[in-house]
Amino acid sequence: MAETVTITIDGQQFQVPKGINLVDAAKMSGTDIPVFCYHPKMDPVGMCRMCLVELGSVVTNRETGEPDVDDNGDPVVRWFPKLQTACTQTVSEGMVVRGATQRVRDARDDILEFILTSHPLDCPICDKGGECPLQNLTMAYGPGESRFVFDDKIRLDKHVPLGDLIYLDRERCIQCARCTRFCDEVVGDDVLAFHERGRRLQIVTISDPPFDTKFSGNTTDICPVGALTTADFRFGARPWELDEVPSICPHCPVGCNISASTRLDRDFGGKKVIKRIMPRQNEHVNEIWICDKGRFGHHHARAEERLTTPLLRRGDEWVAVDWDTAYSEIAGRLKKAGDNVAFLAGNNLSNEDLWELRKLAHRTSNTPRLGVWPAFMTGADAVAQAGVGTGTRLQDMGPDSAILVIASDFEEEAPVWWLQVKQAADRGAKVVVANGRPTKLDRYATEVVHYEYGDAVAVLNSFAARARSKNKIDADFTARVDGAAELEAELKGTRVPFADAAETLLDAEDLVIFAGGEGLTLDQHRELMQAAANLLLLTGHAGKPNNGLVPVWPGANLQGAFDLGFSAETTAALADQPPTVWFIGSADPAAEDAALVQSLANAEFVVVSTQFMTPTAAHANVILPAQSFAEREGTFTNGMRRVQRFYTAQGPVGDTLPEWRIYANIGARLGGDKPRISAALVMRDITQNVPRYAAMAYPALAAVEKQFPDVGGDDLYYGGTAYTNTGGLGIQWPANAEDESARLQVRPVQLDGYQIEGLFAVPVRVLYDRSTLFEQSEMMHTHVPEPFAEINNQDAAHIGIVDGEVIRLNVNGAQHLLTARVNGQAPAGVVLVPQLLSKTPIVIGPAACAIEKIGE
Amino acid sequence: MLAEKYADRIEKIFSKYPDKRSGIMDLLYLAQEEYGWLSEDTLREVAALCDVDPTQAHSIAGFYTMFSEKPKGTYWLQVCTDLPCALRGADQFYQELCAYLDVDDGGTTSDGLFTVEQVMCLAACDKAPMLQCNFHYYENLDMDIIKGLIEQWRAQAQQEAAE
Amino acid sequence: MNLIRGFATTIKHVLEGPVTIQYPEQERPVRERFKGRHALKRYDNGLEKCIGCSLCAAACPADAIWVEAAENTDEERFSPGERYAKTYEINMLRCIFCGYCEDACPTEAIVLEHEYRLSFNDRRDAIYTKDRLIDPPPHGVPATPQVTEPGQFDRSIPDMENPK
Repeated sequence: MAETVTITIDGQQFQVPKGINLVDAAKMSGTDIPVFCYHPKMDPVGMCRMCLVELGSVVTNRETGEPDVDDNGDPVVRWFPKLQTACTQTVSEGMVVRGATQRVRDARDDILEFILTSHPLDCPICDKGGECPLQNLTMAYGPGESRFVFDDKIRLDKHVPLGDLIYLDRERCIQCARCTRFCDEVVGDDVLAFHERGRRLQIVTISDPPFDTKFSGNTTDICPVGALTTADFRFGARPWELDEVPSICPHCPVGCNISASTRLDRDFGGKKVIKRIMPRQNEHVNEIWICDKGRFGHHHARAEERLTTPLLRRGDEWVAVDWDTAYSEIAGRLKKAGDNVAFLAGNNLSNEDLWELRKLAHRTSNTPRLGVWPAFMTGADAVAQAGVGTGTRLQDMGPDSAILVIASDFEEEAPVWWLQVKQAADRGAKVVVANGRPTKLDRYATEVVHYEYGDAVAVLNSFAARARSKNKIDADFTARVDGAAELEAELKGTRVPFADAAETLLDAEDLVIFAGGEGLTLDQHRELMQAAANLLLLTGHAGKPNNGLVPVWPGANLQGAFDLGFSAETTAALADQPPTVWFIGSADPAAEDAALVQSLANAEFVVVSTQFMTPTAAHANVILPAQSFAEREGTFTNGMRRVQRFYTAQGPVGDTLPEWRIYANIGARLGGDKPRISAALVMRDITQNVPRYAAMAYPALAAVEKQFPDVGGDDLYYGGTAYTNTGGLGIQWPANAEDESARLQVRPVQLDGYQIEGLFAVPVRVLYDRSTLFEQSEMMHTHVPEPFAEINNQDAAHIGIVDGEVIRLNVNGAQHLLTARVNGQAPAGVVLVPQLLSKTPIVIGPAACAIEKIGE
Repeated sequence: MLAEKYADRIEKIFSKYPDKRSGIMDLLYLAQEEYGWLSEDTLREVAALCDVDPTQAHSIAGFYTMFSEKPKGTYWLQVCTDLPCALRGADQFYQELCAYLDVDDGGTTSDGLFTVEQVMCLAACDKAPMLQCNFHYYENLDMDIIKGLIEQWRAQAQQEAAE
Repeated sequence: MNLIRGFATTIKHVLEGPVTIQYPEQERPVRERFKGRHALKRYDNGLEKCIGCSLCAAACPADAIWVEAAENTDEERFSPGERYAKTYEINMLRCIFCGYCEDACPTEAIVLEHEYRLSFNDRRDAIYTKDRLIDPPPHGVPATPQVTEPGQFDRSIPDMENPK
């Protein structure tokens, strides 16, 4: 721990870190200073006055520097004449606090009585009732009797929609400003504000769209009363009736820790369902925030469209069969197929599923083809070398740090990382955003680099060249790096087009690179990741916390897939050598890649394990109904290589099985071992066979330690209703750079851009899409746009189209009707095509295209 | 539109501050001067000029009593009824004033001459009951004085209308 | 002597007539505070008093009550305010008729009435659903859901008054 100071709270002395807030210090020391408006993740405002304490400081003798003592030998304390708000105090040496005196008790009592004068006391129907800081603090510190004048009670609207996800109850609001401050300070979208003054103070928004940030749900967690409620959960259950199950969000590479609140439900035949998703604290991953996709994207687990039995194709029809029939059918085919099978792993298969799929594949062939989907990003070897150091916490990154985000629309691809990087920027970290187009993170960037799509690798490579020319090469570190000298020689004379951005990054003490895959071909992406590793290894920004490379994989567990031997290159090669038999695990390539649709149609036999009837499943000969993340145990490895456990939250739907069990059962038919009886044992197999996962046994992954700030638990007033982490903090596997004895490799990268004449289409990813799982959350459909294409103003003018017009996009020999968006975001000559806004594949990589105006 | 009509003044306002956001109060005054009150469209217009979210403009206009978010009469009577003023009878005075003009709290007389509203502190507690009429203070009031003033304002308005 | 005294007692009781009554033809009135089967009450306007707050379920020592809540709209209004009980079930086999649910209810919606003839041929019949528990609407008043004027019923909890 850093420098500490000694403070005295209620006569007891505590050592606490210097410079922290007094409320935090008290909490650390196990004393309660109740608060409503203060939140450990936000700046204090001192609005609610609940934290009043008697505050004083020890008087020191100016000559000796020793504390003055009174006749009894006790130090003399100079008290503030009035009570002070603890939340606006920073701890200092010799601070003396009294929080248990009658004076303080009276003050708290009065404040609570004051707050309650305008409160409706409709706790019986309030969603917060039962986990409400106002209830709890009133019970603990409030007046026993009410002097409430009911006639004077003000009446306000109780059902004010702030956007279509969050509802405001104006009566319940106690004007703590946590939500407005969250929007302003944390998210940077100040769409909520106070209106009027005094008793008439109320939360308003007139923004357009209104309260529609990607993080709006978090305000309901930090609201100390039930003023903000989500459209999803409203009146869903009382908090004490819910079972909290630790889980991991299956939607993106951040791997946010979530808590699934479950309860039996008559509408689902009296079975357990997820009623809501709440954040679960993990200071290394998502702190206490989750995005709205994670919060509201859980409905797939109980969707009516779920497949419940194995299906066999008989002619044009699907026949429901039992598992044995399905297994026999598949095993027979796989036996015959030999090397002619391709295995495709989706982006949210758990590590256990991947392991069993891999075992099954090895049973069919000695050199099985193991591909991942989506397959536009690669470079797991670069991650293995220079991946971000274990123990990295984005929230620790400050003025000495730099963060590069390249080739990613960060807010759309990894919202919570976006949030943390944005906050790092607010704390003074240097953020460089490099992409072919403007993205939202540009607002917070120190330097913005807009390269031509295709030049991403060259740009990143030039940063390494700048490091060489500015003597930023870490010679001590490069002694461990093979090929460093050759690379340096190669970098000599490289033109550096964005020198300011390069220097911003190189001047920092800590450097993290987030690399996405926007606008890159697969080959280019491999080079981009290598270029990132080159830069990090040459400058020594690897092998330690808050330094290294973080890939922004498109999915929750692509890292796990790469770790367990699957690769994107294999998938790419399938286009040239299509297999006769496909085995697809929870992937939907037919919705994204038109070329693969053809080879699926041509294949002899297609097996798909899936939760829903996807376009890919429509090509299948056998469909195996899989379980969602809610019905089973498993682990995901997030983009920072943290392996995290999720637990069974609800019973299975129909005859579904976890995918690892499905694969193991098929394997058993091919002469393999009997399937393991639990996911924990599958993970034990992994720990014994995959060196990087040696430490990842389930009990180790479930280990928790006390986190600061101490959110969750009984003291709801402090951090809101993000839940305490009881399911495990997960374990990161260390990158090679962290092993002092390991040799590291760098190599010069191929800088070839792509040569596309005229207009070309670039696929981009959006958060709210129609991907298989998220599509099932109907409440979010209003947030999913119709399929559109973004076009530069000049190009639009040239073709003669206007914003909102329906156009025809010709790409890869197919035509698509899309809505044109002309808003100055797309660079000239580029058409941005968001992925997965419909189930029709449009474009999977950068490709030449043409836009036609549709006649009147 | 403000941007075209007052391009010079707006530029001058922005030149006084390090960032555009800081000019919002001046621009709201300008807008109120122009339109008489601040409609939601006006707030959006000002917010766009200052590059802030419209909600923030709404919030500022709501906080300060010198901005009005609804159309008001020729004479805008703002009575402070905060605690110290109320102790000196401002509460009572306000109710009597409303009754005299036959308007509800915050309402405008049917002839469109007077708008009456309660406001937070105007920093003249010692001279309460007091009111602010179109930003001019009238202190140590009672009903007799205010009746006189109202007659005076009425006459003035009639005279102006005649001209 | 003792023998005679004994017979005297016997004879006295023989002459007194039977204390048993011919149930079910005859019924004995119950005490006013007798706690029998629950009933869900309505307001005079026909709206349900129950707001689906689940406090009865929380208070129930036998875990006999199951409540699921949903949101009222003006087009389909079950109770005043925002929340109503979509599902309300009491398992009479579990219920111990302690009346805690009645005590816990903030709107006096659940009352233990005088009905005590509870017998079932099937365990499942012992689960009393909301339609079996709820009182019929008062005469001339529509049943729930009702269509109501917006803003007319925006309070779930009846207004409290100043202590007299």
